[in-house]
Amino acid sequence: MAQIKMINVQKFFGQNQVLQDLNLTIEDGEFVVFVGQSGGGKTTALRAIAGLETITSGKILIDGVEVQDRKAADRDIAFVFQSFSLYPHMTVRENITFPLRAVRMDKTARDKAVNETAEILQITEHLDRKPSSLSGGDMQRVAIGRALVRRPQALLMDEPLGVLDSKLREQMRSELKRLHIARGSTSVYVTHDQIEAMSLADQMVILHDGVLQQVGAPDDVYLKPKNLFVAKFVGSPVMNVADVQINGSEVTMKGVDTGFTFDESTLASLAKYDTEITLGLRPEAILLSQARTKGYTQAVTTNIEPLGSHDIVDVRLGDTVLRVRTESGFVSGEGQPVWVGLDTTQAHFFDKKTELNLRGAA
Amino acid sequence: MAGVRTSREKWGNRIAIATVFVALIIMLTPIYWITATAFKPRNLATTIPPTVVFTPEVSPFVKLFTKRSQLRDQPTQKEYDAAPWWEQMVFDGGEKVVRNRKTGEVRPSGYADRFKNSLIIAITSTLLAVSMGTLTAYGFSRFKVRGEDDWMFFILSTRMLPPVVVAIPMFLMYRVVGLNDTHLGLIILYTAFNLSFAVWIMKGFIDEIPKEYEEAALVDGYTRMQAFFKVVLPEALTGMAATAVFCFITAWNEYAFALIMTTRKAQTSPPFIPSQIGSGLPDWTVIAAGTFLFLIPVAVFTFLLRNHLLRGMSFGAIRK
Repeated sequence: MAQIKMINVQKFFGQNQVLQDLNLTIEDGEFVVFVGQSGGGKTTALRAIAGLETITSGKILIDGVEVQDRKAADRDIAFVFQSFSLYPHMTVRENITFPLRAVRMDKTARDKAVNETAEILQITEHLDRKPSSLSGGDMQRVAIGRALVRRPQALLMDEPLGVLDSKLREQMRSELKRLHIARGSTSVYVTHDQIEAMSLADQMVILHDGVLQQVGAPDDVYLKPKNLFVAKFVGSPVMNVADVQINGSEVTMKGVDTGFTFDESTLASLAKYDTEITLGLRPEAILLSQARTKGYTQAVTTNIEPLGSHDIVDVRLGDTVLRVRTESGFVSGEGQPVWVGLDTTQAHFFDKKTELNLRGAA
Repeated sequence: MAGVRTSREKWGNRIAIATVFVALIIMLTPIYWITATAFKPRNLATTIPPTVVFTPEVSPFVKLFTKRSQLRDQPTQKEYDAAPWWEQMVFDGGEKVVRNRKTGEVRPSGYADRFKNSLIIAITSTLLAVSMGTLTAYGFSRFKVRGEDDWMFFILSTRMLPPVVVAIPMFLMYRVVGLNDTHLGLIILYTAFNLSFAVWIMKGFIDEIPKEYEEAALVDGYTRMQAFFKVVLPEALTGMAATAVFCFITAWNEYAFALIMTTRKAQTSPPFIPSQIGSGLPDWTVIAAGTFLFLIPVAVFTFLLRNHLLRGMSFGAIRK
């Protein structure tokens, strides 16, 4: 178990900078998820910790020891690949034993470790089969078993659930969480799926274009996104974004006559920035009403996604289409007039140029 | 092949099978004829019309392995009776086996030695070409090599020149460094012929092996060399087997360089067999016997590796 620290880590592929001044501390026993779009540098960061990628500059410390110049073999970490990377010419048992052979563990200790690991992951009955005869979920379990059997300092996982179907993914997700809680090992996990990230993470690390955007617990990241990228990346459906004009206590969207009334002090603090403002609204921050309500603006529904537990309703307000979360069956069809209001406490204001969240921690 | 088949498809299928049969007949007839000729008495080898039904005998093989000369006088009945059965067959064919005058030992023709040379040279050069080719291909496949494409093209370009073109310069160079008529000389030549082929084929196979296999091994505490031997090599075996078959066939069959570069000590079978055509009327049965034996190692080698070869030929197209 270990603390992992990255200090000013830079990585170039030729002219192309994939990691920029990455500073990050992963505490002992934490489950940290790197999340971002593909090409965002998250896998590179993970591979750099593992030693599969040399960094251009900066330091990586595992338990206070500089490891950036050490070989992967000498860092005492384990890695789970998206493709599982199980050796097809070996049985499951041989696959799991493989890391133990590298450290020349004697046979009885080896067998004991393999059997224990197999038991935890419920793959004991598959031990003598070849990986190719296993289902996707069992392959995944074997891959995790191979990583855990050595009891490494840290467990690194690169989209380990990426190739599984969605149902199995959900199941494996909770298994991973259970395993993490039972073992308490420092885990670093890479995914592009923000829902997976939120459900697993103690800390989410959001990377975009090689730049760290925000580190925080899933709730923090969701409720207090530092910038527009994080705001739009985290949460599903995506946060509604609209350019707005502020007049006194009124916030007006382009192409709409009437504005929304906000708390005076909230808007006053924005005035000092003197830039164009972008309003960000989560689907649940928008309120719909069938009847004319004070402070609400009239709009028309354009699309409805019934999801069972709730509906996602698209409403057209001037030039903007807002996606709104409602209770199921609240709106019966497209083209209906509804009244739109805002939960102003949940509104985010972003600087249109710098994309920073201006209300900070609202 | 499941599913509904129309009568048109059925006919297509029948035509395909018929075509395969015709192709098989065309390809197998020469092999049959060589085999049949290898067991014919000399006087039946070149009859018109060809002899198809005959009593097989092994005299061509006896003649292949011994030195012999034309009979000037018929052997006396006593000489004939004293001779072992195989020598009698040579007498029957109008020749006699040459024996050492003092010891009376049969003098061998040297075919066994040539055959041994062929085996040594072909096997060694195949092992060298495949192992060097695999390592080179691994390097090109896994590491950033400056000008990789140019290097690969250069390697390929060594095959663009027909090798015989350089035979004379090679001969002169070999004479200077004393590689003429040595096993090493031919081994180097054949390895060089096959290396470019081996590199290209093996690169295709190794590119197919996910590099996560080695990365997993690296993270698990192995060195790159260990990872190569424990993880990459077992996966590459199929490709190596397929490559080995082709390299072996090339080295085994090579004629021109063997003829030029070797005379006696390191001579291989291909230049030796035609030299047995004999004086006077050609004795095709001896040629056929030599060729027949010469075919066997390739057939055995290919047969042993047939499973790998089949999988190898599909080039990872059906991986997983």
